[in-house]
Amino acid sequence: MSYMDKIQILQQKQLLVKNLLESPFKLEQLTNENIGLSNIIHDKNLYRPQLALTGYIGLFNHKQIQIFGHTECFYLRDMPLEQRIKAFKNIAQFPIPCIILTNNLVLDKELIDIANDSGIAVFKTSYNTTKTQFLLSEFLDDQFSPQAVVHGSFVDVYGIGILFVGRSGIGKSEIALDLIERGHRLVADDVVMLTKKRESLIMGTGTSLVKHFMEIRGLGIIDIRQMFGVRSIRYQKRLEIIVELLEWNRDDDYTRIGLDEEATNIMGVEISTVKLPIFPGKNITVIAEVIAINYLLRTYGYNAAKIFSDNLAVQIQQNKEPGSAFADQRHISYFQADNE
Amino acid sequence: MIEREVKIVNRAGLHTRPAAALVKIASKFNSEVTLIKGDFAINAKSIIGVMTLAAEKGSRLIVQVDGDDENTAIDEICKLFDSGFGED
Repeated sequence: MSYMDKIQILQQKQLLVKNLLESPFKLEQLTNENIGLSNIIHDKNLYRPQLALTGYIGLFNHKQIQIFGHTECFYLRDMPLEQRIKAFKNIAQFPIPCIILTNNLVLDKELIDIANDSGIAVFKTSYNTTKTQFLLSEFLDDQFSPQAVVHGSFVDVYGIGILFVGRSGIGKSEIALDLIERGHRLVADDVVMLTKKRESLIMGTGTSLVKHFMEIRGLGIIDIRQMFGVRSIRYQKRLEIIVELLEWNRDDDYTRIGLDEEATNIMGVEISTVKLPIFPGKNITVIAEVIAINYLLRTYGYNAAKIFSDNLAVQIQQNKEPGSAFADQRHISYFQADNE
Repeated sequence: MIEREVKIVNRAGLHTRPAAALVKIASKFNSEVTLIKGDFAINAKSIIGVMTLAAEKGSRLIVQVDGDDENTAIDEICKLFDSGFGED
């Protein structure tokens, strides 16, 4: 069984309106304090309630965050107060999570009062509508993304995110430490949190408690950031390769050529996987660097296993005449006189 | 694989020393030992992992043990929790 089978998918935590206030946007609350802050945001999409304000509530999606841009605000502004209240009530009658006004737009006191009474938070932001929608979507996308926790060490090696997994005590942290010593950067040790950002993208980070602390057996807890400086760490990294450390077993089958790539499925994303047998005297750190460089080469279009295999096929073609096999095998045709 | 629910009874919760004691016992066994709090599951042989749970007094955890010595392992681990790690 692979260690990655035990990956723990986290339940989605509930996103509340007040979490928007902790997010990086500068939202200013126009409704009274505590009004609507505990409303749950069920949907990551945003809604422009133009048609709903006119009274057509047929397809109105009240579970989404409502964005009021110039269109909505000017539509409301250009009608008498009585009608304005009626139009606003068209949407305020629903349990919507919150309303966000863009471009620093404001609503009349009467409308804010209705929102207060209905328990709907109203915010304003200085960003324009397009920017607001972009930033909010990015934030909501992240909040609604599937997440998982995995036991391993996550290191950036030459810009490639390598996650080391394997049974406890096999030496994941020691390999990470060795890589840091050689100038690579630690993302997280022991507890790695993975988030699916897009269809084929998994990002990894540590936990807020552990940060870049690390346990080395026989030594205790050390702080990588303090010891090796800020250039030895990073907060987040795309997961690109999983290296599974295994005790060497004579009967197991390990990759010898590398023509067929193995992959592990994590939350629906295929991540390239290397199964690495370890034994005393084997330098995993150097192999990890080679794995990263090889991955880079493949990304840039050079596949060593494929080139070698093609060369062999050519050689076999040329060797059709019996007896010619070994005579031409020497890499250089003659040794030069310097004998160096 | 067997699992059992345990409760943190000592006042200070699962802080550094209890975590170290737990990891020490869990590491004695061949079995895989997993500790689950809510939906957060960690390897009980990793001290950093155990401390990540930040389990406070009164919180309930699930101990999951899988391996050839799972019965002895779960007994010893649960005994440690029940004793409050020797603290009040």
